[in-house]
Amino acid sequence: MLATRVSLVALMLLGCVAVAVAADPDTTTYPRREGPELLGADTPIGRLEYVPGRGLTVGRTNLTIGGFTTVAGAWLEGGHGEVQLDNANFFLFWDPLPWVHVFSEIELTRLAEWDTDRAHAHSAPGIDVDRLYVDVGKADILNLRFGRFLTPIGRWNQVLADPLVWTTSEPLIVEDVFDETMRGAMLWGTTFPRGGAFSYGLYGTFLDSIHHEDQAQHSAGARLEWASLAGWTVGASYFASQRTGQRWHHLGGVDALWRPHERVELSMEAVSGEGSQAAGHEWGLYAQGVVEMVRTLYAVGRYEHFDPAEHDQRAHDLVVVGLTWVPRYYLRLKADYRIADHRDDLSAPGLRMSFSILF
Amino acid sequence: MVRHVLGAALVLVLLVPAASAPESPPLAVVVHRARHDELSLADLAQVYLRRKRFWDDGTPIVPLNLPAGTPLRVAFSRAVLQRSETDLADYWNRQYFYGVLPPATLASTAAVLRYVAADPNAVGYVPLPEVDDSVTVVLHLPP
Repeated sequence: MLATRVSLVALMLLGCVAVAVAADPDTTTYPRREGPELLGADTPIGRLEYVPGRGLTVGRTNLTIGGFTTVAGAWLEGGHGEVQLDNANFFLFWDPLPWVHVFSEIELTRLAEWDTDRAHAHSAPGIDVDRLYVDVGKADILNLRFGRFLTPIGRWNQVLADPLVWTTSEPLIVEDVFDETMRGAMLWGTTFPRGGAFSYGLYGTFLDSIHHEDQAQHSAGARLEWASLAGWTVGASYFASQRTGQRWHHLGGVDALWRPHERVELSMEAVSGEGSQAAGHEWGLYAQGVVEMVRTLYAVGRYEHFDPAEHDQRAHDLVVVGLTWVPRYYLRLKADYRIADHRDDLSAPGLRMSFSILF
Repeated sequence: MVRHVLGAALVLVLLVPAASAPESPPLAVVVHRARHDELSLADLAQVYLRRKRFWDDGTPIVPLNLPAGTPLRVAFSRAVLQRSETDLADYWNRQYFYGVLPPATLASTAAVLRYVAADPNAVGYVPLPEVDDSVTVVLHLPP
């Protein structure tokens, strides 16, 4: 917690310094931010601009504040129901120099929750620093990321925010196999052969946890991804992890995304091996399709198979079907039903709904 | 008779969208006069997706857009990015999750020319007939 506070104070101080050194813009040709400006004011440190879903830019400091929040409800088979204002996540990002990018995501957790097992609503607010890292690089091909960042395995784990995904729940292979975040460094970069973008990431953990989480003590991995301009992306990931006193585990994965048409998105991920959450071989996959049926209304379907490491647990086969309405690019209303071949805590079949705002 | 009517209707359906779509003028992609980098169409797409962030000399690329919804912007997105602006909003949502914002916009092509002429790191697009000798054209985009 102390490290978190120190980091936040350092960010604020650096922001103040940036105001002092920022150059005056040429007001006749000064570029504006993309998107509809909801609030704007000219101040001594430059123009404050708020664009929904793109954050508040603080004048010439190159500091932007944004985030997202979600209200979610679940009515599960077996009678359990809950409604929660689950979290509010705040982004603070800052580009003090063209080759330095500082990013943090701070999460206010468990803000309010009501469920059928308790007589009244309850709240147990807390603060987590989900991500806090700095990117340094003067060329597209080579950058260094240092800090706490999302583990780059597959596609879903790298866009973990509710307003960015199509269903209310994560696939089991994302939720239950590997650590969501890393604490260390990553070399990453992109090159552009044959018109596409070929990206790589090589990473390792060597920082202590600031939340005392139940995570691997050591881990390392790599990711390769090819993104074409024609609308398809393929990726491959490798992840090695070691918990205290245990042997190393090795996990591999592949993923793909294809947009054959503007109104259709098909994606899949598969992992196999030993993850960081449990000992023993596990594997799983999901395949998801999204179709825009009428303007802003999308039908979503996903099939999942997950064979967990624990020998006493059965493999899961799940189907998620639902609708997602995106009335504005920063709003997302979802309703989906998860059908499971059997019911347990992991599969948790039932109806889920959520409303997310990217702000 | 019915077959002729249906055939005529089909021809009309196929022709009307093409006839009613306004043709955008040829666009020129412009950079500062001091810049000598080459840009392919694919490079330009990666620049406007903010994946390609640096010129070859290590200085940051500053891509400039026209306001969303303007005919030139729509034509540019279609020709270069091969996506509609609605489709791109989803892409920018995911980039925002990493603190990457879309290219900044300028209100007019005249403002784009002025900015590019003044900033060695900028790249923009304007109608070809509007180009003057204050900037260098690195790419032509046919209508």
